[in-house]
Parts: sequence; structure tokens; C-alpha cells
Amino acid sequence: MSPIPVLPLVINGCMSALGSLATLKLIPAFKDHFISARLYGMDLNKTNKKEVPESQGVISGTVFLIIMFCFIPVPFLSCFVEEQCTGFPHNEFVQLIGALLAICCMIFLGFADDVLNLRWRHKLLLPTIASLPLLMVYFTNFGNTVIVVPKPFRLLLGMHLDLGILYYVYMGMLAVFCTNAINILAGINGIESGQALFISGSIIIFNLLELGGDYRDDHIFSLYFMLPFFFTTLALFYHNWYPSSVFVGDTFCYFAGMTFAVVGILGHFSKTMLLFFIPQVVNFVYSLPQLFHVVPCPRHRLPRLNPDTGKLGMSWSKFKRRDLSKLGKLILEVAEMLRVLEVKRGQEGDDEFVECNNMTLINLVLKILGPTHERDLTTIMLLIQVLGSVLAFGIRYHLVRLFYDV
Amino acid sequence: MWEYPENMSPIPVLPLVINGCMSALGSLATLKLIPAFKDHFISARLYGMDLNKTNKKEVPESQGVISGTVFLIIMFCFIPVPFLSCFVEEQCTGFPHNEFVQLIGALLAICCMIFLGFADDVLNLRWRHKLLLPTIASLPLLMVYFTNFGNTVIVVPKPFRLLLGMHLDLGILYYVYMGMLAVFCTNAINILAGINGIESGQALFISGSIIIFNLLELGGDYRDDHIFSLYFMLPFFFTTLALFYHNWYPSSVFVGDTFCYFAGMTFAVVGILGHFSKTMLLFFIPQVVNFVYSLPQLFHVVPCPRHRLPRLNPDTGKLGMSWSKFKRRDLSKLGKLILEVAEMLRVLEVKRGQEGDDEFVECNNMTLINLVLKILGPTHERDLTTIMLLIQVSTTGLISESNCISHRRRIQV
Repeated sequence: MSPIPVLPLVINGCMSALGSLATLKLIPAFKDHFISARLYGMDLNKTNKKEVPESQGVISGTVFLIIMFCFIPVPFLSCFVEEQCTGFPHNEFVQLIGALLAICCMIFLGFADDVLNLRWRHKLLLPTIASLPLLMVYFTNFGNTVIVVPKPFRLLLGMHLDLGILYYVYMGMLAVFCTNAINILAGINGIESGQALFISGSIIIFNLLELGGDYRDDHIFSLYFMLPFFFTTLALFYHNWYPSSVFVGDTFCYFAGMTFAVVGILGHFSKTMLLFFIPQVVNFVYSLPQLFHVVPCPRHRLPRLNPDTGKLGMSWSKFKRRDLSKLGKLILEVAEMLRVLEVKRGQEGDDEFVECNNMTLINLVLKILGPTHERDLTTIMLLIQVLGSVLAFGIRYHLVRLFYDV
Repeated sequence: MWEYPENMSPIPVLPLVINGCMSALGSLATLKLIPAFKDHFISARLYGMDLNKTNKKEVPESQGVISGTVFLIIMFCFIPVPFLSCFVEEQCTGFPHNEFVQLIGALLAICCMIFLGFADDVLNLRWRHKLLLPTIASLPLLMVYFTNFGNTVIVVPKPFRLLLGMHLDLGILYYVYMGMLAVFCTNAINILAGINGIESGQALFISGSIIIFNLLELGGDYRDDHIFSLYFMLPFFFTTLALFYHNWYPSSVFVGDTFCYFAGMTFAVVGILGHFSKTMLLFFIPQVVNFVYSLPQLFHVVPCPRHRLPRLNPDTGKLGMSWSKFKRRDLSKLGKLILEVAEMLRVLEVKRGQEGDDEFVECNNMTLINLVLKILGPTHERDLTTIMLLIQVSTTGLISESNCISHRRRIQV
């Protein structure tokens, strides 16, 4: 087993820490540039109409790229300095560069989306484009599309299953899913950067735990990306925390989602990584009826401020009863029965109106807890993220025996 | 007459043909996408007014981001193509990892440059950032070069061999040179600007010249380097062609700093990794001349206004030189010297006058376009751009001609 490359990890850690400081300083320094470029938003849950700079993910993303560019030769220094390696590890080098190409392209397209306000169909297309280099590198480096079948399905499918091109579809979709899953669990100060911070922290812990395992190299590779990501996002989180002096923008959601997809795919632990996404998955599934417009979906689904109490309450979607399809009516009734949806019915003039809370995890938490102050709400959401990670570790290290031989 | 070494690899015809077809499709895509996104750019306030037109129409800016994105998509899809023979027919003796790394590393530098260039267009970063951004984007290129070749030894040109010997190891200076090449190419294209179609046009003709050079060198010793260059230059040429169609007089779109960065970095990449950066710089002669001529203003020795593009005479409809006006006492000794020398060499027109208590001096802005206008007199914008592009072509012709002559001489000897 190859020894743990302590020096590269230490160098990466130091560079990440420096990057954190740089991001911390750069965000306020460029504030005016963003305001002049009209890249700002109004905080819908504040009574003041201050202009808050948007798309700050572009700054943390650029610092991340600079760190990684400077870090490129570091894991391979021993090959030059001491001639210690038996043949240059080209495939590892290609992985590093290919991963950076996917992430760089994603930050670029994410920023273009923020600036040009592209449509929803583009939000599915852009991560697919950016993941192309990742797929190509995977194809030329490994090309392995065989998976180990989970135990419950082995009678039906056998021990191994060659997914072929479906494996590449899965990888492409992973990037699309991660980016958008983070994007829709949003709307309260600090939630986007916070959730990404905690997910990356969980992945780092997982990588460190696995350093003693059989796939050490995969987890070291993941750490090379997760450490800079964690520290640059930490600086962004500092400015994004309640009350937000900056917003992260779609740029950040794209950047985060792609970075996670990259380490998950090239580190060969995408299933475990998805376990760290449990709150995002729950939010996504709960949102599906509105995402597909089976239940009408307003422009914004974030919680609403009650100016008198200063607390946030659920936000609602209001529509005419006759505009609802049969499937929509069914979903409303089932969800109401399961007590995960609050539905109000009323009459205004000739039309029957229906109101239901917007189907987001944040609204669901507000339904259970009642009106909550924004800072407390975000704290609770991040606690849920941590609990989700604890659960993920439990599944990965204990329940896993139900599905695979370890 | 023409001798081929026995161990030369065959020309990869299929990958080149696939690349050509993808480039042609990319050209059509760019042609359609540019008008399709017009409204998005206007809404995002990424537009400019054409200073040399009388109408105040909003012209979408930064369209280089569209041609650049199509270029990236073409290249992403093309990544496995040069290596298909290794998978399909098992024809290669060991996977050519270093060639693969070169391809990916080059794309990383170009992708990063398009990104930072677009960020510059949106956020209006300062001049010192225009030097920093290409340096950042060229880092992956330098790292790939370091790990792939690491060769920093140059062959000394004949006149210096008595002094320096046959070979000279530049060490870290070689990396500085590569970094500066990217900075130079991006900014050199950026400052030869201001008339409809000049930015995309010059890049189009430079890339066309590089393509011709690569094709000529396919029969030489460094075939692989030139094939690598073609893989990038073909998509660049065709996507830029579509951009040029919309950017040509009268411009319905502007290319933005994004395009200048994108073009400059792509040229730097093929020049560095194809090991023909000196030849590539020869194709940049008009840009170099413009750069040298601009130096006094770039360093503010001679005062430099915000815009140096030629000025429209609304009555005649023709463009004339633009001027920089300043007080005589604000001019440093060096500035005065430069003005006098340039005026004496007849490359600068200087007017002197008095307004109230101050003596005023006016000189034409020191750009190649203004110099051409000085020689030809007021010219219509379309003709002026055509002449500038002809200058670009004729210097290329000179290079190719001398290159061909030296080729023939080498073989004969």
C-alpha cells in the first residue's frame, strides 16, 4: 500500500487556508464592481431595500481555481525532485486536470447563467456540458462501467452488472442533480453556502476515515479538492451568514454541485456522497409536484417575513380549484393526509380557491415548528444537514452490510 | 527531393476530418446562437453604442462568450477522438498519456481564460487585472509543460552564438516567457481595435495563417505538434468565422474583451505546446507594430484618452484620425522627446496652439489604425477594416514565403 502523501496534503491545507483569507478579503473588495454591473438582489425577507451583491460564488470559485492551479504539480513533486516514482503517474495527472476542467467550465457557465438569466432548460443543459470532460477522462482512464449489484437484487441481476452507456448517463445526471438540488434548497440567509460547507465537511471526514482503507488514493484525490472547497466556502459563508451582506448566486450552486459530483465520480464513492445529500433529496422529492407544475409553482418559494413579529412563516401557492389537474388534486389530498402539507380552501366570487404551502423542506420545517426567526431557521436547517450526515455515516458503515459485502 | 524519416507516424486523417466536420457544425451553431441570445445580453446591460455610427442602437457586447462556449463544446466532444484507435483497434503501443494531458491542460487554460475574460467584461475590472487574468489562466499550461516536457533549453540564434553558445538553458525564464506570451497575445489583439470587424477579423486571419503553416509543416519532423495545433485552430477558425459574419461592418454585435482573451490564449496555447511560438509571433507583426507604436500612451508618457478609435465625420461619413489633447506643461521631457522624434519620422501628426494662458498640444492617438488614416486620409469604416485585414494577410504572406524558401533551401542542402 502506498504511503499517505503527507507533504502534499499539508501544502494543500496551507494553500486552502490562505485561499480562505483571500476570499474573505476579496468579497468586500469587489462589492462595487458587482453593484455597478447590476449583479445585486434585494433581500426579500428584510424590510430594508439595500442592494446585496449577487453571484459571489464567482469569487470563491476563482480563488479555488487559483489554489488548484498552483497545486497541480505538488502531488507529483516526488517524481521530479527525488526520482522516487516508478514511471510518472500520468493517469492520476489526467484525472486532476480533467476534474479541474469540469469545475472551471461549470463556474464559467454558472456565472454566465447568473449574468444572462438563462432559462430553466439551460439549468439542465449547462451541467451536462460541463461534465463532458469528466466523462471523457473517465472513459479514457478507467472505462469501467461494471457495478456490484446490491444484495436484494442479486437473484435477479447477478453479482455484477455492466451498465455500459447508462453509467455515463448516471455520471452526467449526477452533476445535474447535485447542482440543482443545492440550488432549490435556498431562500434564507446562509443556507446555500452553509449546506455546501457541511456536505464538504462530511466528505472530508469520510475521506479521512477511509485513508486507512483499500482505496486510499481515491480519498486522497478527493481531499485535494474538498479542502480548498471547504475553506473558500467558509469565507463565503462568513459573508453570507445572517444577515447576508452578499448572496452566493447560482454560480455557487453550480460550482458546489459540480465539485461534489467530480470527487464522487473520480473517487468512486458517489453512492456514499449521495447519502450526504439526504436533506437535498428529501427537498427535491417534496418539490417534485411543483417542479413539474402539477401543483402550481410561483416564482419564489422562500418563506415569508411577518414584518410585525420579525419571524418567517410558510409561503403559499394560491390557485383556482378548477385549474388543478386530477393528479394535482390527488397529490394535495395524499400530502394533507400524511400531514406534510397544509391546505386551505376558500371561495372568492365565482371561483373556488385553494392554497397550499410551497412544497419545500424549509416550509415543512416551519409547518412543524411554527413561525421562526430567520437566523434560527437557518441554524435548524444546518443541524438537519449534520443529522443527515450522521445518518449517512450510520448507513454507510452499518446498514451497508444489508446491501454489500464489506 | 522530399525525404521522410522512416519512423514517422501517419497523418491521423480521420480525427482531422471529424474535427473539421465538428468545427463546421460549430460554425453554424454560433451563427444561429448569436442572434438568439441578443435579448439576454441587452437585458443584462451587456451592450455598447457604436461610437462611429450616428444611430444610438444598443449593440450586444461580449459575443466572444458565445463563440468561445461553442468552441469548448466542440473540443469537449472531440477529446476522445484522437485516441479512438487505441480503444477500437488496439493499434497504439501504450496509451499516449502525455498527449492526452496536453489536450486537457490546453483546454483548461482556454476555458479559464474565457471565464475570466467574461468576468472582466461583466465586472469592468481594472487595467492591472488585464495583466493578471491571462497569467492566472496560463498557470495550468505552465504546469502541464513542466510535468510533460520540462524542457527549458533553447537553440541560440546564429548572431548570438559566439556570446552564448549553441544552446542556452533559460530555466525559470522560459516559464516567464510562456506566461508573458499569453498576456501579450490577449492584450495585443485587444488594443488593435475600434472599427467594426477588426478584432474578430484579425484573429480569423491569424488563425488561418497558423492553419496554413501547420498544414505545410505536416510533412516535416514535428508533425505531431502541428496536428495538435490544428485540433485547436480548426474549431477556433470556424467559430470565429461565424462571429466575424455578425461583427463585420455594420456590426450587429461586438465581440468584447472576452473574445480578445479567448483568441490570445488559444494562440499562446498552440504556440507553446506546438513549440512554434516564435513563428506564431511573426504572424502577430501588425499587432506588435501597433503595440510598440502604442507604448508611449500605454505608459502614459503621452496622455492616453479613454478611447483611441478613429472618429467619424458625420458630414462625409468617413473616419478620420482621433486626437489626444493636453497642455504643453503637463508633458514630461521624455514625452516631448517622443513627440519630436515621431513627428520627424513622419509617423505622428502634432498640432500646437494656444488657448488663453495655456499652450496646447494635440497629437493623433498612437495606434496603427490612426497611422493608416494618416497615410491614406479619411476613409470609410468598411474600407479601413478591409485595409487593416489586408495588412494582416500580407505580413502572413511574407512569412510564409520566406518560410517556404528556407524550407526548400534546407532540403536541397
